[in-house]
Amino acid sequence: MKFLIVEDEESLRNSINQYLTVEGNICDHASTYEQGYQKLSIYDYDCILLDLTLPDGEGLQLLKYLKKINKADGVLIISARNSLDQKIEGLSLGADDYLIKPFHLSELYARVQSIVRRRHFNGNSIFHFNEIEIDTTAKETKVNGKPVYLTRKEFELLLYFVVNKNKVISKAAAVVHIWGDDADMADSFDFIYTHIKNVRKKLTDSGCKDYFHSVYGVGYKFTDS
Amino acid sequence: MKLFSSYNRILAIITFTGLIIIGFLFYKTLGQYINKQIDDHLYEEVLEVQDFAHVKNILPSPDGFDDVIVDYKKIHGLSDKNRFFADTTFYNPKKKHDESARYLKTELILNGQPYEVIIMASKFEWQEQIKSIILIILLPVIVLLLILWLVNRILIKRMWQPFRQLLINIKAFNINQEKVFEPVQTNIEEFRELNNTVLEVSLKVKSDYKEIKLFTENASHEMMTPLAVINSKLDTMLQSNTLDKEESEILDDLYKATSKLTKLNQSLLLLVKIDNNQLQDKEEIDLKALVNEKISYFQELIQKRELQVKTNISPFSVFANRSLIEILINNLFSNAIRHNNDGGSILITITNDNLIFSNTSSHTALHPQKIFERFYKDNASDGTGLGLAILKQVCLKQNYVLSYSYEKEYHQFIINFKSSDNKIR
Repeated sequence: MKFLIVEDEESLRNSINQYLTVEGNICDHASTYEQGYQKLSIYDYDCILLDLTLPDGEGLQLLKYLKKINKADGVLIISARNSLDQKIEGLSLGADDYLIKPFHLSELYARVQSIVRRRHFNGNSIFHFNEIEIDTTAKETKVNGKPVYLTRKEFELLLYFVVNKNKVISKAAAVVHIWGDDADMADSFDFIYTHIKNVRKKLTDSGCKDYFHSVYGVGYKFTDS
Repeated sequence: MKLFSSYNRILAIITFTGLIIIGFLFYKTLGQYINKQIDDHLYEEVLEVQDFAHVKNILPSPDGFDDVIVDYKKIHGLSDKNRFFADTTFYNPKKKHDESARYLKTELILNGQPYEVIIMASKFEWQEQIKSIILIILLPVIVLLLILWLVNRILIKRMWQPFRQLLINIKAFNINQEKVFEPVQTNIEEFRELNNTVLEVSLKVKSDYKEIKLFTENASHEMMTPLAVINSKLDTMLQSNTLDKEESEILDDLYKATSKLTKLNQSLLLLVKIDNNQLQDKEEIDLKALVNEKISYFQELIQKRELQVKTNISPFSVFANRSLIEILINNLFSNAIRHNNDGGSILITITNDNLIFSNTSSHTALHPQKIFERFYKDNASDGTGLGLAILKQVCLKQNYVLSYSYEKEYHQFIINFKSSDNKIR
């Protein structure tokens, strides 16, 4: 997949770039409104990661421009502005999703994947990971063709790990992904452990190999290596 | 005591005592004057008695004269003191009661013999006259005073009217609201000065508050980008396969710290937003459904602490902004879960326009006012100290009454929805 990162903060841009450049993903970047404008005019992207506050202009203007030239690129707004009005304005201008800074890169990638899925496959996308098959439309999981019953949160968690396969996911990121901003009411993120244990058990019970690897209590990695 | 009644009280005391003293003095002087008149009259009578005895050589009969009673007593010789006036009472056989009277005791030589003569005149008529005079003078004075007092009262009330209005306006002034302080129109210099001062202060307070709010908002925003950088760098570090246990623990701590900072920032921004009334769109919200939804949403958190959640909810809807109500419920839940002890319980009740969250806790009663202050938290708490402040602010903006109580080892947070007036504390 090909992404465009429009973000003026260099270190953030690099981190995103580094995280997304896996498995044949290509990232292009722009640090100013002007650069973004030029790239948008020339190339097509699967998803554009758009920061709203740019040194020489307003990110929303790029959205308007995109709409004007009739491009169907997916757009994920990444902004520190989290007012409802901004969100509504961004989404109504054609953005697909809105992610508030600060975010976890794994969350960013999950959102990007979701946008691409909706755009390219009408949301109808099936992820395969060895013997696991995840149908994101029907919200169904199959192991070796046999369905595995997962709760909504368990399904979301598995999908999150599969999307970010081979990446270490911090407990914090996983918790925020499932419970949102209110997750902090637990004094530690350890309760994600119970959830992962459940998913793991349900998968292994149906004959699946255990792909969850714990990383020294910081997080987990979904990988078969 | 009000300034007005205090003033009136002093005035009344002075007037009353003044009136009594003046009345007393007046009465005394008048009495003395009248005594002098009677004494003159009595003296004239004595002269007449003397003349009578001289001319006719007989003593006049005791009641031979109008209005006076004359009494004689033979004595052996004249003493030095030959004239003596005094008050007495006598029995008036005609009116059949005692009357006060004035008498003159003197010694005279009548028909060559020394006599003691007592001439007595009734003071009754005179006293009646004094009464009339005093009434005639005092009554108008009292009436005049009453009128003055009344006029004074009305006048002062009228004159203090701008002051009262000023007070009302000051009370109505709310730093959070767009409405500025309303000046009062008055001609009285002092009030006008007060008015202008309050107006100036209110404008200053308002602009300062705005500035602080703006500062908070900007500062929070500006912190978001560096936080995003830190978070993304941490995520990148996490991907390196060379992390050992110690480094992982450091990373975990860093995640926790950034997450806390993020939450703090978001809470501050939320407070600013609530203050600015940015969440306005209202809709009908089924509170029962929302609470049940949240129970399943926070299920894992509840299970982890092994908490018992009991509900007693009658169907109830509120007309409000959904985000705000969700924040409200989330914060109540957050509070009840976070500050509970493992294996404790949470009781959620909705009845009679009240939403009550009760929870057990290892803490005893908390300070009912302080807990709603920004950044107030006990040492054991890992939160931002803004949760309850946000709760309070939401309630304040929606005109709900929020209160806290501690009953039977349960901490209770009560939100009363049906209170459209400003009873918020």
